[in-house]
Amino acid sequence: MSILRGMANAEIDGTFRPQLTSLIDVMTILLVFLIKSFSVDGNLITPSDDLILPVSSSDKRPRQQCAIEITGSAIIGEGEIIAKINDVAATDSLLIEPLFKWMKMKSVQCGDSLKGRELMIQCDRELPYSNVKKVMYSCSKAGFNRFSVLVIQEE
Amino acid sequence: MSLTLYKSQRPPSELVESADLDVTPVMNMFIILIPFLVSMAVFTNLSIIEFSLPPNAGASMNSSPEKPKPRLTVRVGADYFGIVLGDTLYDSLSVNSGIYPFDELQERLRSRKLILAANDDIVIASLDEVAFKHVVKVMDVCRSAGFVNVGLSSATVNPGGETE
Repeated sequence: MSILRGMANAEIDGTFRPQLTSLIDVMTILLVFLIKSFSVDGNLITPSDDLILPVSSSDKRPRQQCAIEITGSAIIGEGEIIAKINDVAATDSLLIEPLFKWMKMKSVQCGDSLKGRELMIQCDRELPYSNVKKVMYSCSKAGFNRFSVLVIQEE
Repeated sequence: MSLTLYKSQRPPSELVESADLDVTPVMNMFIILIPFLVSMAVFTNLSIIEFSLPPNAGASMNSSPEKPKPRLTVRVGADYFGIVLGDTLYDSLSVNSGIYPFDELQERLRSRKLILAANDDIVIASLDEVAFKHVVKVMDVCRSAGFVNVGLSSATVNPGGETE
């Protein structure tokens, strides 16, 4: 109806004036929603694309620290594949040799020996606990003693 | 005298035909602001759960000659939960058709904490085949039940055996 009225006006004075009220309404609602969900901090940590994190009610904010990713196919550190999950699952040993060596190398950068070395584990939610256990064991042998696990905060 | 000059027979609203509001600057602002906010929006909030490993799993394995003091432990199996202190099994909850009774576990942990006057430490000992998401959920349950310091360990298949 308003379009027809606009067309009629266009015929009278030669200009077409679209009705922008509804568009501005939509924009305003969208703006309020986005401002509400806006976070100044953003996400300091970006989880790997090929893992789905577990959900938790924890509200402790993550901070920048050394991290290791355990996806369905590999153990990754700083984008570098350290060990394949199939190889890890196939062995009975708790110590993952390549991971131990890598973590030993990185341990100096991840805190001092007095305060303790921190490590954040990003693990796929469907992975069996045995893989996580081996990773934790190897990292603790490399000198890490403070662990955290990255999760998606429950709404 | 002069006021009468401005006196009109028609009300002021009728003198102006229509207010022609220019919304172009508002639209420009919206068009700039909305893509910016969409790009910065955080739709999934990430958080962390801190935990510790049992003392005998770390690098300082052989440094302490003393046997660690037993802590209240939740055993997580593929088909059961168990609340254990030392060698004593206090509670056992079965998993029915893959659904873990997390609410019941929380209630039992709360009551056990009161009855045993346990401190804020708890250990979660899970079997190898349990999915990691269940272990994380048990960590949540333990924190909700009042156990602040959560430790992770592993359980042996035989419930009567010792944890690794």
